[in-house]
Amino acid sequence: MSENNIKIQRGLWENPWGYVESFFIGIGLIVTGFFLEVFVASDKAFTMSYPFNIYFLVGYILVLFVLYKWFYTTQLIRWLTKVPASISSIVLVTLLVMIMGIIPQIPSQNNIINNLGLNHITSNWAFLLIIFQFLTCLGLISIKRILQFKWSNFGFILNHTGLFLALIAGILGTGDLQRLSLSVYENKANFIAIDENRNEVELPFAIYLKDFLIDEYNPKLALVDNKNGSIAHNDGKNLYLVEKGETYYFNNFEVKIDKFFPNAIRFGSRYEVVNEIGSPPAAKISVKNIENDSIQTAWISSGSFRYPYESLKISEDYSIVMTIPEVKKFSSDIDILTKQGDRISTVLEVNKPYKYNGWKIYQLSYDDKMGKWSNLSVIELVKDPWLPLTYIGIFMMISGAIYMFWMGNKITKNKE
Amino acid sequence: MTWIDFPLYSSIIIILWIIGLLFLVISYKKQSVFKIATAMFAIGWIVMMLFVVKLWLELDRPPMRTLGETRLWYATFLPLIGFVTYARWKYKWFLAYSFIMASMFLIINYLNPETYSKTLMPALQSPWFIPHVLVYLFSYAVLAASSIVAIKGWYDSYKGNFNIETLKLADNLVYIGFAFLTLGLLFGALWAKEAWGHYWTWDPKEVWAFLTWMGYLIYIHYRHFHMHNSKQALTILALAFVVLLVCWFGVNYLPVANTSVHTYTQY
Repeated sequence: MSENNIKIQRGLWENPWGYVESFFIGIGLIVTGFFLEVFVASDKAFTMSYPFNIYFLVGYILVLFVLYKWFYTTQLIRWLTKVPASISSIVLVTLLVMIMGIIPQIPSQNNIINNLGLNHITSNWAFLLIIFQFLTCLGLISIKRILQFKWSNFGFILNHTGLFLALIAGILGTGDLQRLSLSVYENKANFIAIDENRNEVELPFAIYLKDFLIDEYNPKLALVDNKNGSIAHNDGKNLYLVEKGETYYFNNFEVKIDKFFPNAIRFGSRYEVVNEIGSPPAAKISVKNIENDSIQTAWISSGSFRYPYESLKISEDYSIVMTIPEVKKFSSDIDILTKQGDRISTVLEVNKPYKYNGWKIYQLSYDDKMGKWSNLSVIELVKDPWLPLTYIGIFMMISGAIYMFWMGNKITKNKE
Repeated sequence: MTWIDFPLYSSIIIILWIIGLLFLVISYKKQSVFKIATAMFAIGWIVMMLFVVKLWLELDRPPMRTLGETRLWYATFLPLIGFVTYARWKYKWFLAYSFIMASMFLIINYLNPETYSKTLMPALQSPWFIPHVLVYLFSYAVLAASSIVAIKGWYDSYKGNFNIETLKLADNLVYIGFAFLTLGLLFGALWAKEAWGHYWTWDPKEVWAFLTWMGYLIYIHYRHFHMHNSKQALTILALAFVVLLVCWFGVNYLPVANTSVHTYTQY
């Protein structure tokens, strides 16, 4: 019997609930959520922190288990474990996330956006309620398939339970997530970090910065339009790296790099290598106009916070400039000073955080005005006690995805 | 061994792969020549590996700092995933696709010598970068193929000769593409934890990647339980692909774009 026949035979809210009822309930939850936003909402986002999130998680899973085990015959629980409830909640979660994908999640002037809380979807009651329904469906069917375990359901369990764990750990973990930033100067120690709301937080250890290092790429050459100052070749992309001896072609100009110094200062008519704070890179270039074979030679420099830049005007329309060098890598040589008096040495680098005592310590930024002469390093400290649970979920989903790739769409094939 | 030898190596590789592709096309008529095609692909790939290994030794660091270097890795790994997928699913066009894409990356590097040294910002210098982009390349390709199948399905049902096999092919492609999509999303999360401190920050690109994922999730669940409503299934598939396109190209044009860490438009 096809489902169309069922629909004809039964009225609304008659057993079993289908899509109409599912969307009715889902949209009802969303409308309720928006009412809460308009009339009850406070400025503070609703979060749970330790130990309440643990109690909630344990309680929630127990309730789901009890509901599945002893109340499976009730209308509501049967509905939650069926497809219409899953699909409607996936669709409605998708709709709310789509709002997030269109409306910037920043303070807004628009009254509708503000009142309905459309600029903070992740903490919006409508979103929380519908994601709660989504998780409840996911949790119940995970329990169902785990209790009726069959090897053919292995991929199903990995995907569904993995998503359930990753999502719930992500949501409940927000309350315990700490993201702090710590500014340290060279040869100094600091243990007062700043949290996301700019409050000071005292760390259980201090960080001493021995050395902050920046490795730069060579600067690049660019042809700029004298009228508007914009880069006039290759659509502003793929500029040429300045390297001694290289020759590049810009329109009808041949540019040869005769000399290049990473750190130099102008002395009279030329640049000389120096080892001084703020000394910019400089290059001696000769530019040949291919049309009339005329040659100009000059020094150009990208300048720095201490010295001005120098460019070369090669025609009425164009100049050759040297861009500010881009950063290749930056790292902090630090000591972690513990309360017990231990000293742990390590080097922090982007993409290479250091784990210490439940904290992950990241290289975040530096004084970008000073560039490679910065003696300030900004370090980020993140503590996320729920991370292991999230990772269990993520790795279950990765295994599930590989399983899915390998097995393909076997259900359709078997049934038809 | 440096990039100076690249034109020589890449020419050899591409010529081998073109011969391979020709044999692959012929193999649709005459299965026996397919072995020659695979042999050509394999030899080309070995030459490729030779270049990568020697470049690595010469540079004395993993070649992963510039845009040109990442393209080299795409060209190395695309054929590998192509082979694994072929071994499992026997889609010859997919094998062809992976080699054409790989050749394309080699040709881009060949035509833009200056981009060998195009610099990569520190956050992108991560072992996660290449797997993250690679699985997305594959996922988008397979999902695009599933949409082409959907268009065919629509056309067929308009003409009145719709065949359920068409939808089953789309199903299988969606499953494979969705598996890669999931991997791309999760690799991105694992990388973000290492580079930016948190695995999920609702960055606009993440939001739209999540939406794409949800779109195909709807299709999979719908198909699983309503095997006969083929028209609706095709519509969902088409809509999911629209979301994918927004995620791929459209995000930069949305009002949310300026808050994204994914706005370097230079892959």
